[in-house]
Amino acid sequence: MPEMRIEATINGRKIARAAKPHQRLLDFLRDDLHLTGAKEGCGAGECGTCSVFIDGVLFKSCMVPVGKAQGKTIETVEALTRTGELSVLQKAFHKAGASQCGYCIPGMVMAATAAIRINPFADREEIKERLGGNICRCTGYQKIFDAVELARDVQNGKLPVTALAEDETADGKYIGANVRRLDAPSKVSGALKYAGDMVMPDMLHLQVLRSPHPHALIESIDTSEAEAMEGVEGVITWADVPGEDGFGVFVHDQPIMARGKVRYVGEAVAAVAAEDAVIARKALSKIKVVYKLLAALFDAEAAMQSGAPVIHDYAPDNVTKHIPIRKGDIARGFAESDLVVEETYSTQPIEHAYLEPEAGLAYVDPDGVVTVISPSQNITHHRHMLAKIIAKPINKVRFIMSPVGGGFGGKEDMIYQGMLALMAMKTRRPVRLVFTREESIISTAKRHPSKTVLRMGLTREGRIKAVSLKMICDGGAYGLSTEGVMRKAAILGAGPYNIPNLQVDTYGIYTNNTPSGAFRSFGALQTQFATESHLDICAEKLGLDPFEIRRINAMRDGAETHTKQQLKSVSYLRVLEAAEKASKWEQGAPVSRGDRRADLTPVGEGVRAACSLGARFEANGKLEAAE
Amino acid sequence: MLFCDEYLMPKTLDEAFAAMESHRGRYKLVAGATDIYPWAREGRAGDVEIPVLIDIAGIPELNDKKIDDKRTRFGAAMPIQRFLDDPQLARALPCMPRCAVWFADDQLRESATIGGNIVNASPAGDGIPPLVAHKAEVELASRSNGRISKRRLPLDLFITGPGRSEMAEGEILTAIECESLPGYGGSFEKVGHRRSLVISLVCLATLVKLDASGKRFEDVRLAIGGIGPVPLRLAEVEKFLLSGPLDEGRLEQAAEMPVHLVQSRTRQEYRREVVRGFVMRGLVNAVRRAGGHAVLTPELEASYA
Ligand SMILES: Cc1cc2nc3c(=O)[nH]c(=O)nc-3n(C[C@H](O)[C@H](O)[C@H](O)COP(=O)(O)OP(=O)(O)OC[C@H]3O[C@@H](n4cnc5c(N)ncnc54)[C@H](O)[C@@H]3O)c2cc1C
Repeated sequence: MPEMRIEATINGRKIARAAKPHQRLLDFLRDDLHLTGAKEGCGAGECGTCSVFIDGVLFKSCMVPVGKAQGKTIETVEALTRTGELSVLQKAFHKAGASQCGYCIPGMVMAATAAIRINPFADREEIKERLGGNICRCTGYQKIFDAVELARDVQNGKLPVTALAEDETADGKYIGANVRRLDAPSKVSGALKYAGDMVMPDMLHLQVLRSPHPHALIESIDTSEAEAMEGVEGVITWADVPGEDGFGVFVHDQPIMARGKVRYVGEAVAAVAAEDAVIARKALSKIKVVYKLLAALFDAEAAMQSGAPVIHDYAPDNVTKHIPIRKGDIARGFAESDLVVEETYSTQPIEHAYLEPEAGLAYVDPDGVVTVISPSQNITHHRHMLAKIIAKPINKVRFIMSPVGGGFGGKEDMIYQGMLALMAMKTRRPVRLVFTREESIISTAKRHPSKTVLRMGLTREGRIKAVSLKMICDGGAYGLSTEGVMRKAAILGAGPYNIPNLQVDTYGIYTNNTPSGAFRSFGALQTQFATESHLDICAEKLGLDPFEIRRINAMRDGAETHTKQQLKSVSYLRVLEAAEKASKWEQGAPVSRGDRRADLTPVGEGVRAACSLGARFEANGKLEAAE
Repeated sequence: MLFCDEYLMPKTLDEAFAAMESHRGRYKLVAGATDIYPWAREGRAGDVEIPVLIDIAGIPELNDKKIDDKRTRFGAAMPIQRFLDDPQLARALPCMPRCAVWFADDQLRESATIGGNIVNASPAGDGIPPLVAHKAEVELASRSNGRISKRRLPLDLFITGPGRSEMAEGEILTAIECESLPGYGGSFEKVGHRRSLVISLVCLATLVKLDASGKRFEDVRLAIGGIGPVPLRLAEVEKFLLSGPLDEGRLEQAAEMPVHLVQSRTRQEYRREVVRGFVMRGLVNAVRRAGGHAVLTPELEASYA
């Protein structure tokens, strides 16, 4: 491939070196100059993890062809610590707890640096506006804005430099104190290496061929042309799995790569390792797969009908897991009720959207230990599963957890680590795989979409007599965490309430959709969304205050849970009280409220201020309220 | 991923044409690359191999500007951010800063060019409606037998459909020329899913000039994007607004008029609501900025501005 020569000043040093014409500035910085502070979060200009300065102006380096760097002065996040010390802004990020997973942080620090360079007196609205191109998934942004304001004030002399130092903790007590995160300096400086930042000598690059079909038999896979390509060092399919193929958090129903059949769009079918990712990607297009399409299921309820196509032979009814809970006698409970309300609630699939797309690096060490480095949220379990899959004793399998650039449950599944291990074994070379954002979205777990039918019987006073709750979840093509999610949804779904007669059924169902899996709150969100919404509706029907109806039914110290666990202490009433206070709740049934509500009053009029987009700039650089 | 074997950066128009001629059929022009890169990804065009990319953003002629009180001319490679921070451009083109401020984010606006926005011809392209309202013309250059020639076309005729234009093989969009409208009140209304980095569902550019009494329009221009295959000038509405005194009733009647134009493939109901609200809001904001406070009731300003 022809090369181009780039001469530029990068972080204060002149460079003159070859670059590949198709590279983006981000690739050149990361792959050629090993400046990995700038990250790739989306590769589409959306997320801002790759922000760098070009001639003092901030750019998203994933949208800049490397040619445009010719003759330019470039500063990456690494430039901010050239003196060996964190900048004021970086120290402020440390102090304010603005870095959590840290993956967005180098870009965020760059955008914040730009913001207070452009306007050293920027107020919070302007800071928000100037950081608008950088996305964070952990913090909710408030701590980041706090940090930028702190840095601005220290820089302007409004606050002393000591404001950046750690708060004193009262007699060595950390609970309740504002303690700085130990790992923050490594994150705010961009020094921390995530899996996708790591390199090893002689490392190969893995790319994955994915299924375009939701449900199809694989009649044949021909990899010969890909294997013959120069630069390709290995191609793997299911046939390379030496042991007992199958992973999953509960049921091991998912092969490392599709085995005879694909069950969702995006499922891995084959993988190529090559000297660089471009060759590997080109080789993917040379693999010939012959599919025979099967009828596919996209709806959980349809999948439960008899005669529906079967997705996994072991589960002819397409049920991944059914969790029932029975307590008391619901028929009697409903009969004794003054009010019975039934509603249906549904929730959608949700992507975790951590800023760090999946990445991993595997190698076989000199002692023959197959080692996988990845941001896995479940390395011990992965290690046990992989040992079986590659037919090695457990002491020959090692997992190293790299910094997790956001997980939220989405990195619990061993979706790609198996391919890396197989390829490292096959090529005897280190192999790295870095997902694109699209790959991350198409192939990894989502929050279970759900439909819940909830029936509740109550007395006139608001005491719950009976509940029946049935939730059907679309678990997608593979089991992953579905069993556990159904369990938690069932156990916690009826909420922290005393319910004498209860019937709960949660079903995780196989379909040909993207698999559903772990996601913060693990199933409780879906059922509790139903229960809590339902309580509000019932309160309205009974003319009760929504807090009151909850207090009437709340579990108290010594209560027994729906699954008969004795609770020594229950904090629910305290939580309710705090929420009531913090929301300035105006007591009364929801029906009693008009358009003017004292509890929603910010200032004056008795009407809540409308939600607005904040401020935008006027042409002269001043802010005006957004229209 | 976008693959290429060569990335050329001509320094003059002649160098660019020379490169285009010697790589005929094997090249693509690049300006800011902010449409090309996202296009060459999974789910859209996928991996794309283009043997030669010709980056025209550095050609001085494509970065020039020439502004007087009658006409404004700027190069096609002008980054969107300049319409926000260049005071001369902002004065001559009163709704462009408002368009620019809603465009992508601070960083992408430094990459994205106005020429790329026009050639990309997305029905949701934000840069197009304001320029249509300014009666912009595009200047297209080509070279044959070593001689560069240029032709001009009104912008609204240049764009023929989603992603389609009158651009011919071998042409470069070199410049845009339009009317300068200093003293006009301008507004740009845009709605999408979030505040930054969002493609318009609907956008509306409004430019107004009031007469000496401040109670009538001397000129009104409305151009809308996102509701059909190409951006549209709302000529009927403009005519109606010019035909009588400026009052609340007239604005409300005007706001009803373009609702039936919504032809987008999705979310038609929603877009109709938005169109009605945007015409009101666009006019209220533009009138206020044109110094027409007195004619608007505070209630009207409060509910729309
Ligand atoms: C995250 C993100 C957010 C965005 N937000 C917005 C937004 O808010 N509003 C909006 O309208 N757009 C938005 N865009 C789209 C894009 O940024 C704009 O359309 C931009 O103006 C394109 O210009 P460019 O210079 O980057 O085009 P390029 O990608 O360089 O080129 C686009 C096309 O035009 C051709 N071309 C470019 N210049 C010329 C020329 N002078 N002569 C002939 N052909 C030419 C190219 O060959 C190519 O086909 C966004 C994009 C991203 C990635």
